[in-house]
Amino acid sequence: MEVKYALFSGSCLCLTAVQYLLQRGQLSCVVLIEAEPNPDLVQLQRFLHHHQIPMLQYKTASDDALIADLDRLGANSGIAYLFKHKLRAKLIDFFAGDVLNIHPSALPDYRGPMPVFWQLKNGADTVRLTLHKVAEQLDTGDIATHIDLPVHPFDTSQCFHQKIAQAVPALLEQFAQQQAAGTLNWQAQSEHIDIDGEQCEPRYAAHVQVEDLLIDWRHHTSTEIVNLARAANAELGGARFKFREGMLQLMQASSMECKLAGIKPGTILELDRIKGLLVKTVDGAIRLDTILTEQGIFDGYRFAVLFGLEPGLEVAASSEGRM
Amino acid sequence: MEKHQKHNVSVTDYADPKIDQLLKHTVRNQLESLLKAKLTTAQRQQALTQSFVDAMSLIFSTTQATHAQLTAAFEAMYEQALQSMSMAELSEELLTRQYIAPTGLIMSPYNSRHTIKDIYRIQGYAKGIDKAIRGMLSHKDSVTILYPACGPFAPLILPLLSYYKNQNEFNHEQIKVLFVDTHPGAIVTLKQLIDDLQLGEFVADIIEKDATVYEPEQAVDLLVLEAMQHGFTREGQLAIAKHLVKFLTLDGWMIPRSVSIKGMMIHGETEYNQQWKDAEYCHSDHLRDSALNERVELGELMRIDKSALLEMTEIELDDDIRVVAANTIKIPTGVEDMSTRILAIYAQINTFGEEGLDQYDSGITHPKPDMNFYIDARPRELEHTHFVANSGDTVQFYYQLSGMPGFVPVKA
Repeated sequence: MEVKYALFSGSCLCLTAVQYLLQRGQLSCVVLIEAEPNPDLVQLQRFLHHHQIPMLQYKTASDDALIADLDRLGANSGIAYLFKHKLRAKLIDFFAGDVLNIHPSALPDYRGPMPVFWQLKNGADTVRLTLHKVAEQLDTGDIATHIDLPVHPFDTSQCFHQKIAQAVPALLEQFAQQQAAGTLNWQAQSEHIDIDGEQCEPRYAAHVQVEDLLIDWRHHTSTEIVNLARAANAELGGARFKFREGMLQLMQASSMECKLAGIKPGTILELDRIKGLLVKTVDGAIRLDTILTEQGIFDGYRFAVLFGLEPGLEVAASSEGRM
Repeated sequence: MEKHQKHNVSVTDYADPKIDQLLKHTVRNQLESLLKAKLTTAQRQQALTQSFVDAMSLIFSTTQATHAQLTAAFEAMYEQALQSMSMAELSEELLTRQYIAPTGLIMSPYNSRHTIKDIYRIQGYAKGIDKAIRGMLSHKDSVTILYPACGPFAPLILPLLSYYKNQNEFNHEQIKVLFVDTHPGAIVTLKQLIDDLQLGEFVADIIEKDATVYEPEQAVDLLVLEAMQHGFTREGQLAIAKHLVKFLTLDGWMIPRSVSIKGMMIHGETEYNQQWKDAEYCHSDHLRDSALNERVELGELMRIDKSALLEMTEIELDDDIRVVAANTIKIPTGVEDMSTRILAIYAQINTFGEEGLDQYDSGITHPKPDMNFYIDARPRELEHTHFVANSGDTVQFYYQLSGMPGFVPVKA
């Protein structure tokens, strides 16, 4: 039987998958997320409309209408990619279990809605792009195949999502070839992961809260702050730190060497037009490269000159409110 | 001066500096008046010198100048100094670079520019230095003054030298000054200002070097130490003093002669807000009895003078932090509201003779609150930077010389 996929997505990043499936004559339709119109979704709708690709709408209330439409269009398999809704059993049953999900992590590690953020935050140097069966429990289905993507040290979440999108056709092609060759080996997911030879609970990639974005100058190393900023760049608005009464958004930072002793982390070390704005961390220093504020986007140097951040001041003074 | 007055005026003599945009924005009012007035270089230099002489004349006047008179004179001196600074054509890099060096904060010329407006600091120092110079010249022919970390305007010496020259009090054969600063922007600005004030004859040398490692080649009679922030923190004043005091002649003096740093437990609201509600300006003359009576004085945390500096022994801690031991104090008992009080550290400076600066007279003697010092109370979230003790405890203070200098309390 000829495979006809319904592609479940809500982002233009799925267009690489759309084009791949179109070229192979395997695209039946695209099922869009249920959401208020946003620029990404609107652009995706325009593209699909322009290329006369059938669009269906996912409804959280019921799958009945969607299943009828999928049936009408002859869709017999599904691929979910950047699709925020959980697929229900009825829909999975419609495809007789042939629904795949593209998840950017080495499952079972980083199951959940924000795997790229958490992996970049934790300094991953490789992210695994996993193709697995959709099961009723999110991100738990058997794994078909995967490819590993190297993370560039400057990658932001946004950058990396684009890299993943570029890699999706290769992942689907690998799957198709293994299937055709009969070498596909569905692997059940383990319930533990191996970290440095130790069996650990998989990490969960939860939705990101503002507290997750806060820089803790007392504990975060330079690398951790740099990674937090790039993981939260751009959609999440960067890492946050407190200065005076406001919360500043750090979109980009760079790790710097600092051998000065006796300086509290969070203290501004240097302001220099060329070197920028340097802040002490527990293990060195960071340069605040790009800061987002209500007044605009600045490099650290200009921001400091404009808003009076001076070396010697602390960006996160403790024990406030004792006066 | 003579030479400039006779100078032929041509178009190129008028002020048209190539000023960095940032400085231009900051000093636009001063520049506008300069450009509008169409002053020649000689006229500008004369106005600059006059402003310096006027400020010092008020300070040395036999009749007490009012605060308003002093403010106007120091504001004029500041504006003229800024014009000179703009003539130095400092790049933005040099103008704004500020950083923490291994022994403390190095201020940018941009942020140092206000020091020349600090009326009572300059008054206390100028009067003290004047007395010291007179004392020295009463028994020797000349005085060599070392002024480390002098900043872009060297405000404790240049107004005084302008005054001496104008009044024919002392000449360059009697006074020679070594100016030292590690910031290249400060050096460029200082050279311009000395040129503009035509005080080059008094200059022994202008040296761009870190004052904590600089070793003068000649004997020093007076060591002028300005670099200090409130609570004796941030800048490397103690490291500079400790290093350079050994280059003083046997009968040489350090100005200030002594700095006494004291601690007190206060209510921030009374000390910093209520006390000053009706005061015209912050000054020790305006301290209110109600606030003074509410303080719980802890006593002297440290005393710095020539002999103390010469005897001071550094202790090197495991993590490359260098400290010197300060005093031990006993936290008083029987203060019911101790848990609601904060520590404030302030300096009393004796520059020379009876001259000096008391608390609140200047930024450098303004009591500095230490929000990490808890007595009979605990912070909501205990950090390693917090110090927690109880009434009756004995506390040993150390002074940290590395990074960001300041006091570190330890339970004795």
